[in-house]
Amino acid sequence: MDLTRRQALQKFATGTAAAVATAGLTTISLPGSAHGEEVKEAPKKAVSMLYDATRCIGCKSCVAACSEANNLTPDTGLSGGLHQAPTDLNAFTKNIIKLYRPADGSQWSYVKQQCMHCVDPTCVAGCSFFALTKNPETGIVSWNGSKCMGCRYCEISCPYHVPKFQWQGMNPKIVKCEFCQERLAAGKNPACTSVCPVQAVVFGNREELLDEARRRIAESPDKYFENRIFGEQDGGGTQVLYLSHLPFEKLGLPNLGTESIPSKYMKWQRKLYSFLVVPTVLYATMVGVIRGSWKEHQHHMLEDQKQTGLRPQL
Amino acid sequence: MSDRWERSVPVFNVPIWTKPFKALMAMGGLALGLTVYREIAGLGPASGMNDAYAWGIWKTFNVMTLTGLGSGAFAIGISAWLFKQHKLHTVMRVALLTSFLSYLSGLIMIGIDVGRPWNIYWLVTPWNWNPHSPLLEVMFCMPAYAMLPLLLENVPPVLEYFHRYKPGTQAFVEKCEKIMIRFYPFIVALAYILPAMHQSSLGALMLLGGNNVNPLWQTPFLPLLYVWAAAFLGVCCVAGTLLFTSLMWKRPYDMEVLVHLNKICAWLVGTWLLFRTLDLVISGKIGLAFRLDVFAGLFWIEMLFLGIALYMLVDSMKLRDARLMFHAHVLVGVGGLLYRFNPTTLAFQPKPGAFYFPSALEILTSVGFVALAIAGFSIAVKVFAILPAPNYTWFQMEAHENKIKALHRDGEKVVSLAAAATNFSD
Repeated sequence: MDLTRRQALQKFATGTAAAVATAGLTTISLPGSAHGEEVKEAPKKAVSMLYDATRCIGCKSCVAACSEANNLTPDTGLSGGLHQAPTDLNAFTKNIIKLYRPADGSQWSYVKQQCMHCVDPTCVAGCSFFALTKNPETGIVSWNGSKCMGCRYCEISCPYHVPKFQWQGMNPKIVKCEFCQERLAAGKNPACTSVCPVQAVVFGNREELLDEARRRIAESPDKYFENRIFGEQDGGGTQVLYLSHLPFEKLGLPNLGTESIPSKYMKWQRKLYSFLVVPTVLYATMVGVIRGSWKEHQHHMLEDQKQTGLRPQL
Repeated sequence: MSDRWERSVPVFNVPIWTKPFKALMAMGGLALGLTVYREIAGLGPASGMNDAYAWGIWKTFNVMTLTGLGSGAFAIGISAWLFKQHKLHTVMRVALLTSFLSYLSGLIMIGIDVGRPWNIYWLVTPWNWNPHSPLLEVMFCMPAYAMLPLLLENVPPVLEYFHRYKPGTQAFVEKCEKIMIRFYPFIVALAYILPAMHQSSLGALMLLGGNNVNPLWQTPFLPLLYVWAAAFLGVCCVAGTLLFTSLMWKRPYDMEVLVHLNKICAWLVGTWLLFRTLDLVISGKIGLAFRLDVFAGLFWIEMLFLGIALYMLVDSMKLRDARLMFHAHVLVGVGGLLYRFNPTTLAFQPKPGAFYFPSALEILTSVGFVALAIAGFSIAVKVFAILPAPNYTWFQMEAHENKIKALHRDGEKVVSLAAAATNFSD
């Protein structure tokens, strides 16, 4: 009786383990095929911005327009409460104009910073519950507060240091440019692109803006750094594109190569975990070995009990 | 009589309420109080964290670094169960307890660190998971490991305690033990696959850090190096704990087992050092180690600590010197912890001008929860049979208990057996 019950229980346990593993396989593979896998190309209808540093006059009207459109409290810290003067992207600032001016008096430039809406975003790759998602149609990377647990992994992993966290209070949020989604839905352009007086930043479809940038480079071949569009390939590509007369690194745009960070560093990780095959096989093998050594161990315990008369310890 | 470790015996002749224990509890209490302030005021006022260094020591030290020390059950368990080194079974209870407490305090720290803890409940809805996020892997695997295999494997000493001191529960305990024995291999195997996954994923967390992590540490092999370091850190923590408690409470120690642990630790440290160096040489980054900068310095501190530790491990093994062994394990611990801490903080360089130093509140909370874990350990080994000892120690304990029982019988109050067991004071 005992033996058969024991066998039945063992079979039950093996069956449960197998069922759990299969359930894990299906649930885990489903969202993986939708998003979270490597993204190689921007969506066809990807919304995009092209910022041309040679045109920017540093008026910062885009900074003010961004605050207004997103209902952000202006960051007046530096000016003693007088006017908006953020020093960097922060919990109150989704868009900023910075000045790069080297001490030796050589060429200077303004630069606009906001979320780059990467083609294969590192923040989305790391986000546990997809609080950050990339819209499959527009390619906009946006944040969902009901999924975010406030771990700030996006801040650690973003190569452009864009997502910011509200460090004050009991209900902190992640703050970053979300491409003025509400304005787009209402048929308007993003705030920053609609107020720029010199069209230093323009809004459009990514393919169209890439063509526009190529046209500008072709028009004046010696004007732009390396005759290159930052974001066409960089870090796997971004939906915010840059043209500049100065090296991009001087403007705070890192040299990432053409591969995205998730596909560059997570290759092996993704293979090891794909469909949980490796962990399941390992687990099954270990159960087999441990059952063998468990019998030996039990034998040792019973021997000891015979010798000492003491109750065996598991 | 031989000093071989034959079974686990509670520490029976030492009081629980010692001064160091009270100090540990006070530190833990302070940490709990400060946690309330952190929850109300937010992370900004409570910590030194900022947008560039968005992870402070709560995550980088208490979770990503210290759970390495809690990998004893993982490393020693694999040697005992998979490689059938049966003499290591005597130290498994120490390994399981240190691991459980280390993970528990780490998990509490994650809960305190995250800004929107009410959203953690998405963990139980697999359809909301990002299956490729190393953080999800950590957030799911760590609690799963601590609350399933690790907790269950820590149950036998508690069951035994009831069996011994509460005669009424004996039938129930025996039933529980029978069920446990049936499922034991399945539980035990889970206790190796889960840590192998999340300890490597802790390294994988920094992979997405990309260029923010100094190239001397950033490598595709980061997950492998992390889990490897966890293995030797776990062994050094268990061996160190065994040596420390044996020397402190004057309990006999089994040189055979300790030498065996030393051997495992030495192999793991040696091969790790070799692999780390080879990785740097093959990827052509070894030149960075010979620059005159902070990062090269940090690299050499790690390598020196572990190199000297390796030498001392081998040396103490030959001399069979317990004190030297203990110092060797401390050095392994410092070197290994430094390696796991560096890529997250000291060798993490998000952008020029960025600066992070933990606030006093952060440090006190971090230390406080570690203190609680140590306090938990010191109670547990005095109440339950955790620390290994020769069989004769068990008979000494029984004689000691009988003496106390006799004392109580002579006095007016009759104290229960369990109370007598927890209130030894010589």
